[in-house]
Amino acid sequence: MQREDHNIHYPFCQDSSKYEKLCKIGQGTFGEVFKARDRNTKRLVAMKKILMENEKEGFPITALREIKILQLLKHDNVLNLVEICRSKATPYNRYKSTFYMISDFCEHDLAGLLSNTNVKFNLGEIKKIVQQLLNGLYFLHSNKILHRDMKAANILITKNGVLKLADFGLARSFSLSNKGNPNRYTNRVVTLWYRPPELLLGERDYGPGIDTWGVGCIMAEMWTRTPIMQGRTEQHQLQLISQLCGSITKEVWPNVEKLPLWGKIDLISGQRRKVKDRLNYYVKDQYALEMLDRLLTIDPAKRIDADTALNHDFFWTDPMPIDLSTTLSKHTTSMFEYLAPRRPGTRQPAPNAPGKPAAHNPDQHFERVF
Amino acid sequence: MPIPVKLKGKQKGLRLRLKSVPLATACIVYHRFFKEYTLQQYDPYLIASTTLYIAGKVEENQVTLRDVVNVCYRTLHRSKPPLEMGDMFFALKETIAKCELFVLRALQFRVVYNHPHRYLLHYLTFIKEWMEPYKWDELPLARTSWALLRDSYHSTLCLQYKPQHIAVAILYMTLESHGADIPFEDTAVTPWWKVFAEDITLDIIKQIVGELINTYDLEMISS
Repeated sequence: MQREDHNIHYPFCQDSSKYEKLCKIGQGTFGEVFKARDRNTKRLVAMKKILMENEKEGFPITALREIKILQLLKHDNVLNLVEICRSKATPYNRYKSTFYMISDFCEHDLAGLLSNTNVKFNLGEIKKIVQQLLNGLYFLHSNKILHRDMKAANILITKNGVLKLADFGLARSFSLSNKGNPNRYTNRVVTLWYRPPELLLGERDYGPGIDTWGVGCIMAEMWTRTPIMQGRTEQHQLQLISQLCGSITKEVWPNVEKLPLWGKIDLISGQRRKVKDRLNYYVKDQYALEMLDRLLTIDPAKRIDADTALNHDFFWTDPMPIDLSTTLSKHTTSMFEYLAPRRPGTRQPAPNAPGKPAAHNPDQHFERVF
Repeated sequence: MPIPVKLKGKQKGLRLRLKSVPLATACIVYHRFFKEYTLQQYDPYLIASTTLYIAGKVEENQVTLRDVVNVCYRTLHRSKPPLEMGDMFFALKETIAKCELFVLRALQFRVVYNHPHRYLLHYLTFIKEWMEPYKWDELPLARTSWALLRDSYHSTLCLQYKPQHIAVAILYMTLESHGADIPFEDTAVTPWWKVFAEDITLDIIKQIVGELINTYDLEMISS
């Protein structure tokens, strides 16, 4: 390729200057996200910059996966990818153009909404959110895709109350392993506070259960308004899980002793399972407690899957799930975790990017700009 | 059509231990790219090497850039000694990495394809059920059709027809070339191929088969 590169006309890939950046709405390991407007149609979009630094293997496979998955998955509860854009290669950027993923703009994210005490959801509305979340996840799982970064900040909600699963930067396709040939996926995925026990114990042959654990954490957060298990380290996270869901033993989880880190990590013993008892303080609905109990099951094989969860009585008893648009219409400003004032003691840890060293500080986070 | 490039491409693919579907993806990416651009504009060997690399990523059958460079170099320069680690190696690596972005851009990042493979496999299991067991065992229908399908990627068939139609036509050609019949075909109300793909016609099948045969002729001329 020659330097004249920037004069070549690309028939398909549009120039990013067709969008006007309005403000920054997110920042993480994945890069920066901006709110932007199409200069011609005035349509609002979100622009996510694809980080390409230090890539020895060309275009990052994680970004390619994300693009591929988003092109493949078209669902009401999955963020819609509009197109991929690139900036012009000029002498100013040393002839390296930047790529952007353009998606529909959503007004809020769940973490932002929950951190705002003025936003109050009633039981029907909570049901609607959890139901949409499971709907999206069921669609993902039936298409053999794992999200691998479920957390409140990755769940977007439009002003009309439609929930969209977003940030597929860690997502990948999966296949059910056959006995002789276990999968070997990376276990450095999922933000620590939402990470299920099997990943913490080094499992590499995991399945959709890792995402449903996250749904459990997020669902509880609908009432507690703050992440329920905020571990500082992997060890600490396992300890918090044991304190809530009971000790991790061979009795409650057959074959746990075969996991790579079993015996290498200290697990606290003698803990009683108290998911319902502890959450009872916040959650008064019995069906909700029952479902949380099934989602936060230690053994991934016994954990409820998205399909079964959708049939749970929680969604089919009064008050039924109701539309969110009335509640949301009272709030005219966008609520994003990135823009929200920091809640005391709730610093979101960044997800472990695959390939990061094991002794990685889970408290790593990016400074917010006010 | 640059048949020699495709042949080299296939050899490289096999040496990189890519499975059939990634190989098929590489071919489609290659054909789609050269639908937009001419062979005079871009070096087909470079594009072919790059498509292999992209296909490996897209289909979760990743090969390292290093292997792509080495295998491609070895396939293209068989009389020369293997590539040494040095300026040339790093230059080739960077070229492919840059070319990757270029190809992705040209394709507008549309890298998900529905291949005929899954349909063919599905149809074959039906045929197996329909046929007398001894006949199924006797004729290498699966092997022949799989080989035909692989060869079909030398042409741009994959861009012109629906994957279901390609799979049916390949199956049709396989049965013809082995002189095999579908049981009760004469008395059946619906021809077997209509059962597999409702919107297919005998004309479409014959067109696809005709084009496939043409590809083999081209190959003969070029070798």
